[in-house]
Amino acid sequence: MKNSAGNPEAPVFGVAAEFQCARDLYHAAEKIRDAGFRRWDVFSPFPIHGMDEAMGMKRSLLGKIVFLGGLTGFLTAVTLEFGPTSFLYPLIVAGKPTNLFTVPAFFPIMFELTILISAFTAVFGMLIMNGLPRLNHALFNWDRFKKVTEDKFFVAIEAGDPKFSERSVRDFLESLGGTNITTIHGD
Amino acid sequence: MSEQQTTFDYKHVGGRFLGLVAAALAAFAAIFFGAASNPDQFAFSYLFAFTFFFTICMGGLFWILVHHAVDAEWSVVVRRQMENIASMLLVMAILFIPLVFVAPRLWKWMSVPAGQDILLDEKWPYLTPWFFWLRAAFYFAFFVIASTWLRANSILQDKDGAPRYTVFNRKITFASLPLFAVCLTFSAIDWLMGLDYHWFSTMWGVYIFAGTALSSMCVLVLLITALRGAGYFGNVISMEHYHTMGKLMFAFTVFWAYIGFSQYMLIWYANIPEETVYFLRRNTESWQILSTALVVGHFFVPFLLLLPNPGKRKPAYLCGMAVWILLMHMLDIYVVVLPALHKAGVVVSWMDFACLAAIGCTLAAVFLKRLGDAPLWPLRDPRLPQSIALKN
Repeated sequence: MKNSAGNPEAPVFGVAAEFQCARDLYHAAEKIRDAGFRRWDVFSPFPIHGMDEAMGMKRSLLGKIVFLGGLTGFLTAVTLEFGPTSFLYPLIVAGKPTNLFTVPAFFPIMFELTILISAFTAVFGMLIMNGLPRLNHALFNWDRFKKVTEDKFFVAIEAGDPKFSERSVRDFLESLGGTNITTIHGD
Repeated sequence: MSEQQTTFDYKHVGGRFLGLVAAALAAFAAIFFGAASNPDQFAFSYLFAFTFFFTICMGGLFWILVHHAVDAEWSVVVRRQMENIASMLLVMAILFIPLVFVAPRLWKWMSVPAGQDILLDEKWPYLTPWFFWLRAAFYFAFFVIASTWLRANSILQDKDGAPRYTVFNRKITFASLPLFAVCLTFSAIDWLMGLDYHWFSTMWGVYIFAGTALSSMCVLVLLITALRGAGYFGNVISMEHYHTMGKLMFAFTVFWAYIGFSQYMLIWYANIPEETVYFLRRNTESWQILSTALVVGHFFVPFLLLLPNPGKRKPAYLCGMAVWILLMHMLDIYVVVLPALHKAGVVVSWMDFACLAAIGCTLAAVFLKRLGDAPLWPLRDPRLPQSIALKN
């Protein structure tokens, strides 16, 4: 009798396996990476050092997006400060010049806007790239998965993976030392 | 090399040690004659060179204190070299002595009688010769005791690996951290801000500190690379450590710019004559060129070059950046000290270089002696394995 969780009528989300410690999970991840799977993930109660490498994850695109966000903030400040004060309506304050040499007064705003937009891009970009916020996840159909916030470690290979076939993935996870291998259905 | 070498072998230095000593003696002889012919130039050139090396040595102490205070893991492998750099503070205390003889030429307030300058009279309780020298003695006493003590405990731990040395050093650190901040701030105020006793800036101490931490991290990178080149630290220091040091170099480049700009902007914006005098002198005549070069070279160039990740993991690249930043730090101190003498514009004197050579060669020679005294890294620190296995 094969284990399954969720509504059996619903399409298969993927196959998940349970591991007992971080080291097992780490080595399992290395083998799954080497087997060439693409759509899969690991779940643990705490961050595991070096897991990115073990999973073969590339450097996130987020850094480049944040750079563009920061640039947007910087250019916004430059435009909004020099535009009105130097060109549209030059206003002399405390005897300071209204040309390029007034930049020290403008610099704090350029700095702050750069940081602000970078931070927003980082936070919201991270949420969007992670598909968050979401209300539910198919893995929550599996009761054992609740242990992921306590002391158990999980791997899930998704049905969307090009190399996915339920039977072979189950065998594969078993060969890695996973226990309680379960087919997860969506609902 | 099958067995990992843990102590420095002087075969790498050989006769160059005597060359360093000879160069130091020659440079000191030269500046001695220079001092006789142009004592003012000597006083300022020497203070410039002294401050440049003093900040580097103090940075070494700062990084040890941070290491112990936050119980750091990564820095265990490089800590002995930081301790070696900080132990040079004893030499700096001796090298301070020439300044005693030219003090009134540097710090003009010493020769202004009471009642002549109301601004000086207001500062009278602080700017009094006996208090000034007492403070200087206190700074050096603290710097020397703290750096020597921390290093001695660290070396004792190499023998038996007892964790109590780590705990004890942490206690020394907690007592030292506030003293370090106070001594660094007030030594910067006494010796550098005091060059113009009318002028003041509340950010002065932290401005000098920013250059201090940055420059000593650069020296550390160069030192570690030189030792690696000579065949040490084989499986101890990896690119991960370089990456961390590169990140700290980047962080303090930004910190220096942040502090430098904050100081400039507040003074520029408030426009109070008593405060603007500092920047007026440095932003006019030929000093303007050096000040602008400082903004570009000390901030924009290293900021852009250290920002991408890959460079920080290439020792050659990081060393190039370290040399560049050290040159910029030298320029920074030059623009702090020398305008107080050459008010009309830049006048480069041969004594600027001679003083750098004299102090630099002396320190290098003593440092080489120190290098061989103890193992190159804390061999039995309880955190050594974690430090070696560092992952960014």
